[in-house]
Amino acid sequence: MIWQALRLSLLVVSIATLVISVAGTAFGYLLAKKKFQGKDLLDAIITLPMVLPPTVTGYYLILLLGKRGLLGKPLYALTGWTVTFTWIAAVVASTVVALPLMIKSARAAIESVDSDYEIASYILGKSEFQTFFRITLPLAGRGILAGIILSFARAFGEFGATLMLAGNIPGKTQTMPLAIYEAVVSGEDERAKWLALILTGISVLVVYLTNRLSRPKGKR
Amino acid sequence: MLEAHIKKRLGNGNGNSLTIDVTVRAADGITVLFGSSGAGKTTILRAIAGVTTPDEGRISLNGSVYFDSAAGINMPMQRRRVGYVFQNHVLFPHLTAAQNVLYGADSDSRAAARERVRELFTLMEIQNTAAHYPHELSGGEQQRVALARALATDPLLMLLDEPLSAVDVATRSRLLEEISAIQKRSRIPFLYVTHNQSEAARLGNAMLVIDEGRVLQEGAPLEVFNAPRTAPVARIVGAENVLVGKVLNHSSEDGTTVIDIDSCKVEIPYNGLPVGSQVTVGLRSEDILVSREHLTQTSARNVLPGKILSIIKDVDKAELVVDCGVDFKVSITPATVRTLNLEVGNNIYLLIKARALHVLA
Repeated sequence: MIWQALRLSLLVVSIATLVISVAGTAFGYLLAKKKFQGKDLLDAIITLPMVLPPTVTGYYLILLLGKRGLLGKPLYALTGWTVTFTWIAAVVASTVVALPLMIKSARAAIESVDSDYEIASYILGKSEFQTFFRITLPLAGRGILAGIILSFARAFGEFGATLMLAGNIPGKTQTMPLAIYEAVVSGEDERAKWLALILTGISVLVVYLTNRLSRPKGKR
Repeated sequence: MLEAHIKKRLGNGNGNSLTIDVTVRAADGITVLFGSSGAGKTTILRAIAGVTTPDEGRISLNGSVYFDSAAGINMPMQRRRVGYVFQNHVLFPHLTAAQNVLYGADSDSRAAARERVRELFTLMEIQNTAAHYPHELSGGEQQRVALARALATDPLLMLLDEPLSAVDVATRSRLLEEISAIQKRSRIPFLYVTHNQSEAARLGNAMLVIDEGRVLQEGAPLEVFNAPRTAPVARIVGAENVLVGKVLNHSSEDGTTVIDIDSCKVEIPYNGLPVGSQVTVGLRSEDILVSREHLTQTSARNVLPGKILSIIKDVDKAELVVDCGVDFKVSITPATVRTLNLEVGNNIYLLIKARALHVLA
């Protein structure tokens, strides 16, 4: 039971972190560099999951993706499949909840890069795309990596939205935090202890790594 | 040939605004944009490079249009093929010197690009810096790498924004000669922003004095420095005469060095520089005496005959421009103009102490 939950958690979090890293950096770049109409509104909407209780985020996700949801209904009509109560729902829930952390970190990291470097690159004939990967990303790399680790940690501990959207099905959607909850509720103290210890251990490791990465190494 | 007409209104947020309205032409050679900070010089360079978009105007280089507000043309900076040297060099901190230059060397083959980088490092005499990161280099080395990087793209125009302001005096003099040599070899227009008279005098084939976004005077640097046409220009270029000459000979016994300024021989304090080397000397306009007669029994080592070209009178002073083979700015009181009865076209003598002439860095 313990290993099943750990394995599922790691699978869910790995995919979520991958999606968050790419989408978060892209949104971060968009918000840091571009001027467009509705920018503040977009910023507010993608920050929302950070300030809302996860259960509320989960509720909205059901409204959006559930069998009778805004997107879920046509999807179900088309394929006969629905995301709710599958492990993919757990991925969606942790992605949505942890994404704002990544966007905030990536935006701050990208904004901290002196734009003269990018201008110098453009003048040297390089496109925005080339400049992003060869100049901006390496120079913002430390902050972006810290953001990835932070959102990994957040996704790893995701409980509320996952419970709402994916349910609590052992072996199918029961991630570590859900398994701990169930163990405590059903009085399985030993199992709860070990699950909590493993989760704490991984979180400590992650925070330790974040601190190491965010410390400036030598002069830049 | 660069032809740029740029109009742009800049606001700095706290009510102050500056309107840039200039026409800049630059042919093969070094054209200096001279002015104090905040005059709009950097904005002009940025508009030409395409970093900022003018409100109005037209920018073209060798007939190809970079920007034309009327025709709606605004070529992206990637395609303008200009070399840009920043005041603080802006080398990429995560790349070595060689990688920085290679970054700009856009060539069909990797090998050709590497060869180009090697050439540039040899030209700039910075081979030993290749594997080092920017923060490990001295100010002079950083600026050489920045120059090499700008040249690596084979630019059609070079824009240099106070490239020597963060470099020590000794290195500055060498870099000046190198920049001049690079320009002669590349035969493309260089636009050089500075507020340093010595740099302007030694490098510039032409100079534009910029103040509050406008061109106040255009001409050869020495001509402008030594004969400012209006009071604002005189204020910007300062009260100093700037003269460029060559060391002719030294007399350690007399403690003097004779320099030749456009075949006008002037004694300055002994400096021990090699004979034939170029020197820039400054002379404050109020340190020059004016005489109607040719005085001989005087402590002034230089008594130069000349003709008054212009007299600009102010409340407390009068600025003369006197042609002695080279033009000198002379600042005297209106009383002297009256008592000596000075008029444009008069032949007079200038008395200049050797020690009033000082070598500029």
